[in-house]
Amino acid sequence: MSDQLVPSSSGLPAANVSALERLRARIGEAAPSTEATVEAGHLKRFAEAIGDPNPRWTGEAPPTFLVALAPASLHLAEAEEYGKGWLNGGNRFEYFEPVKVGDRITATGRVAEVYEKTGSSGTLLFIIFETDYVNQHGRTVAKLRGTAIRR
Amino acid sequence: MNLTVGQELPELVKHPTTRQLVQYAGAQGDFYEIHYDQAYAQSVGLSGVILHGLLKAGFLGQLVTDWLGDRGTLKSFEVSYRGIDQPGRPYRCRGRVTKVDGDQVELEVWGEDSAGNRTTAGTATVEMKG
Repeated sequence: MSDQLVPSSSGLPAANVSALERLRARIGEAAPSTEATVEAGHLKRFAEAIGDPNPRWTGEAPPTFLVALAPASLHLAEAEEYGKGWLNGGNRFEYFEPVKVGDRITATGRVAEVYEKTGSSGTLLFIIFETDYVNQHGRTVAKLRGTAIRR
Repeated sequence: MNLTVGQELPELVKHPTTRQLVQYAGAQGDFYEIHYDQAYAQSVGLSGVILHGLLKAGFLGQLVTDWLGDRGTLKSFEVSYRGIDQPGRPYRCRGRVTKVDGDQVELEVWGEDSAGNRTTAGTATVEMKG
């Protein structure tokens, strides 16, 4: 094995290192945009699934709804070579305008960061996704930063 | 408006079931099997199905919007998932005011499992109406 390909600190098999390298090459790559209309029925099913009876959600999206409206469309096959499964590490939402029934939202996601961390349960792969949500008037309504972990 | 640092939000206790995880999987469109298929969850080293991180975020979002009502606007909301949670156990959502700067208010929010561990921790910023 070449030292250039296998950092001495990682101790990972070569296949995993190259998966990491190939993922890093995708940083900044934008996924194809997805577009969806906010529908009253979807809002209702989403609020019911959370168990949130607030009547406000009949016309407006609750704080985490955008993840359901337009899921990330970037499939990272390279990441699935790594570890056994996915975990969600965290989510950060920034809100600029309310999202209402009838709004047509375009979501564009990209890979922002890829890195490894070694902890008590072994080495984990972290992938940071960022998504911008833009409404039918061309205004950004929200941004989401999500941390996906392969373990 | 009388907000002071240290003030606690009224707590919200959820009682998630596997049925709710299936309902949430459908509503979000996240069909990862660790949230409803026991055998699959065990095959990836979990003791059973676990709550979606984003379902716990949804619970904490409800904690904040129930407290806030129409007194202001949520500007940002951030959560980290630090531990797993299983259905059939109560999930306690709590929060408190950590900063008040004019109409800008910061909150600390967290979710506790039945043993009192903070399995989800986060922050929210809100802008109160003048």
